[in-house]
Amino acid sequence: MAETGLDLLRGTLDVLVMKSLSWGPLHGYGVAEWIGRRTGEELLVEEGALYPALHRLEKRGLVESEWGLSENNRRARYYQLTADGRRSLLRESALWRRYRDAVDRVLSAVEA
Amino acid sequence: MARPHGVRRLFRWPTSRQALADELEAEMAFHVERRAAALVEEGWDPEAARQEAQRRFGDASTVRRECDAIDRDRARRAGLADALHDGAHDLRLAARQLARTPALTALAAVTLALGIGATTAIYGIVHAVLLSPLPIDEPERVVSVWEDWEGEPASVSAGNYAEWRRHSRSFAELAAARGASVNLAGDGEPERVPGLRVTAAYFDVFGVAPRLGRAFTAAEDQPGEDGVVVLSHELWSRRFGADRSLLGREVRIDGRRRTVVGVMPPGFDPLAGGPELWLPMAFSAEDLARLDEHSFWTVGRLAPGASADQAREELRAISTRLQEAAHDGQRETEAHVIGVVEALVEGYRTRLLVLLGAVALVLVIACANVANLLLARGAARSREMAIRTALGSPRRRLVRMLLTESAVLAVPAALLGLVLAAVGVRALVALAPPDVPRLSEAGLDAPVVAFALLLSLGACLLAGLAPALRAARGNPQQALVEGSAGAGGGRDRMRGGLVAAEVGLSLVLLVGAGLLIRSGIELARVDPGFDVDGLLTVRMSLPASRYPEPAQIAATFEQILEAARTVPGVSAASLTNRVPMGGGDSSNGLLPEGVAFSQEAVVQSQMRLVSPEHFATLGLDLLRGRTFTAADRAGAPRAMVLSETTARRLFPDEEAIGQRVACCEGTPDGDPVLKTVVGVVGDTRPWNLATEPPPEFYLPLAQAPPDAWRWLQGTMDLLVRTDIQPETLVPALRDAVARVDPELPLYDVSTLEERVGQSMAPARFNTFLLTVLGAVGLLLAAIGIYGTVAHGVEQRRREISVRMAMGATPRHAVRLMVRRTVPALALGLALGLAAAVAAGRVLEDQVYGVPLADPATYAAVVAVLAAVALAASLLPARRAARVDPAATLSKL
Repeated sequence: MAETGLDLLRGTLDVLVMKSLSWGPLHGYGVAEWIGRRTGEELLVEEGALYPALHRLEKRGLVESEWGLSENNRRARYYQLTADGRRSLLRESALWRRYRDAVDRVLSAVEA
Repeated sequence: MARPHGVRRLFRWPTSRQALADELEAEMAFHVERRAAALVEEGWDPEAARQEAQRRFGDASTVRRECDAIDRDRARRAGLADALHDGAHDLRLAARQLARTPALTALAAVTLALGIGATTAIYGIVHAVLLSPLPIDEPERVVSVWEDWEGEPASVSAGNYAEWRRHSRSFAELAAARGASVNLAGDGEPERVPGLRVTAAYFDVFGVAPRLGRAFTAAEDQPGEDGVVVLSHELWSRRFGADRSLLGREVRIDGRRRTVVGVMPPGFDPLAGGPELWLPMAFSAEDLARLDEHSFWTVGRLAPGASADQAREELRAISTRLQEAAHDGQRETEAHVIGVVEALVEGYRTRLLVLLGAVALVLVIACANVANLLLARGAARSREMAIRTALGSPRRRLVRMLLTESAVLAVPAALLGLVLAAVGVRALVALAPPDVPRLSEAGLDAPVVAFALLLSLGACLLAGLAPALRAARGNPQQALVEGSAGAGGGRDRMRGGLVAAEVGLSLVLLVGAGLLIRSGIELARVDPGFDVDGLLTVRMSLPASRYPEPAQIAATFEQILEAARTVPGVSAASLTNRVPMGGGDSSNGLLPEGVAFSQEAVVQSQMRLVSPEHFATLGLDLLRGRTFTAADRAGAPRAMVLSETTARRLFPDEEAIGQRVACCEGTPDGDPVLKTVVGVVGDTRPWNLATEPPPEFYLPLAQAPPDAWRWLQGTMDLLVRTDIQPETLVPALRDAVARVDPELPLYDVSTLEERVGQSMAPARFNTFLLTVLGAVGLLLAAIGIYGTVAHGVEQRRREISVRMAMGATPRHAVRLMVRRTVPALALGLALGLAAAVAAGRVLEDQVYGVPLADPATYAAVVAVLAAVALAASLLPARRAARVDPAATLSKL
């Protein structure tokens, strides 16, 4: 697992990747760009870590891939969310929000 | 491959782990390049940008390792999916390709279906007769046991059977059986029913229990206690309406009441005699003492651990001991122990296997023909193949595609073949000679259908192999440059080879058919020794229960004969124990007076017990002396007539007339009863035309030996000669016999002409089938040659045009095309001759009066084949003469 500023958990990266694909198919570089832009390069320090995540998701049937031509006419592998992937993304996002809220409440608590 | 995202997803997974790894490399390379390009746009120096991009990507080897671990089993599954996908794709493609040339596809399918149908039909027969297990328990342990007579298995005497049963340890069960046709009376017409007398253990030998009721007990297998009968399922259904309450009731058999105790399961007929009922043998002590009347079948179930060889050794020792005790001296005897299944099908195995082999040859010819058709199509498609190869289709994949086409072709071929086989089996069963064991069971059961399906697939792949390999080996560049017409000489060589194979195989078939036909012609010329036309015969049996005394039997037959003579249209009538072609064996030992008894001195000869008119009725040639007269009655000096062969064997150097011969009664070495030879008549062929005349002798009915009626079981054949249609006499004869005894059924009614025909039926059947197969093979070969030459003309249109433009005449063009067939034809004839000489040996037992290497047959077959082959190539070659050079060459 790549070292990140916030020590990204494996499951977190999977959710982020699926989220990035929820607007349409992207190649691996596109996913890295999308995540980078949204997080200000905070979360994804080693971009190579995306690929095991993508392959893992493909194996679980949450994304599927095929080769196509990129914007500048190069062969690139495009990933796309499957129906299962969409359902999983909804579930995982909800989970993450609850987790974030819980952690948030703990951290912002004032000594009573 | 510009691709609208997610619109059309061609599901193409990479096939291997290596391919997946390659894809990952490409993915990572793309990523790094894009990142570097982006950095350059931000103003980075290109080299620095590349290094920064790699830094941001991180450790590629970790990514590789992790991805490989994830993809590993995906690769495995992908491989399988890929294969399935390709297979389905090939099937669709193949079906489309075949549909594109419907006429050619139909022709190929029909050709294959003919071969498959014929082969399956014959296999259906072979399976039923030779291969399917008998419906008995552990058939491999059930054996037929025979005594020995001059090295051949012979029927067993009661005495021998009893000793074997008492002393042998090799058998779990041993039983004796004897054919016993009986008169079944009451409930309508008296009926003659074939039956078997069997000892109580008979059913246990086969391990088959009755369907209803029980078999005989040992107590019922005693004289006087034997008033019981077991019925066949068929008789029970046919005559008694499958009435269960028949068990325990009485039926009248040969005038005696017997209680029905059991009904056997359907199809129980392990000895293939077609018995409809079984009676207890009930040997008397007297019967069991007889060593010299060999009239019983003996069957046994080998004890666990005992082998047939051990059993044979043991039985031989017992018989030898017995003979030595009976005859005070050194006597070596032999026994034969033969598997019951083997014994049952023995006479049919070779014939059936010859047919199966012949039909397999036809199938191979059909395959060669289809291969030829596919080659022709392959030539037309060489351009398509070339393009596929040029686009990177691996050769392996092309071969697979073409083989898939052949496999798809197998589907209609198999279906049509099965239909033909169903018709064929039924036709074969209907046409086949009677008495082939288990033939009626033949049909398209599961193993036969499975055989047909495998055969279809095999045949289609065989037919498709040559064209597929040829297409894959083709040079795409050459094919593309030259177009579809430039397929080159290699393909011609392959087609020539196929034609040669067809010619050779047809030759083998035709030689076989030719030999059998010649043999049939020879047989038709054989003189059976009597006048076949205008003779009618019927058989009658006087049951011992109502005719216990020999004198009574003789008197009754005398009355029947008198009654038959008065029937209008009958010009002569006689009685005999065996009419010619009536089957059966009634051999007796003859010993000339004054010759010391030894087995070598005794001449085994077929006994004919006849009324005096028999010689005239049958039309036998009287060679010397006289035949019988009314004066040769009981009490008069005993007379006998010998056949020519018997006379020569008994008295090689002297005149037979006036000599005295011991036979049939008394004992030859102690107290012989001598008979005086009064005449010598011509030989007859008593069983069939192909078997050389055996020794025969005749005794007057009025002087029948006292035991004769027991040997004959009160059975005689009535023979009448007429100038009108013999069959029309049957009702009047029936009435005449009924006036003497209304309960006496007539059976085995037939003309001697029919009998002669029937005795030849198996040979004729094989000849017919082999001739049909030979004709089909010849036709297929002719079609193959026609197709090859026609295709050759199409291919060489340009060459022919050039030659004609240079001054060749149409005759030259035709000759050029025909000449191209000659090498293939010559090769085929040469190979075929060699194969026919080798294969002809299997016909050894079926060919009569013609040498296996009959030059006339071979010459005729070669001439016919060559003529047909040349005609088949001349027809399409004439098209070459019609080639229009101007039109063809202007297209260039």
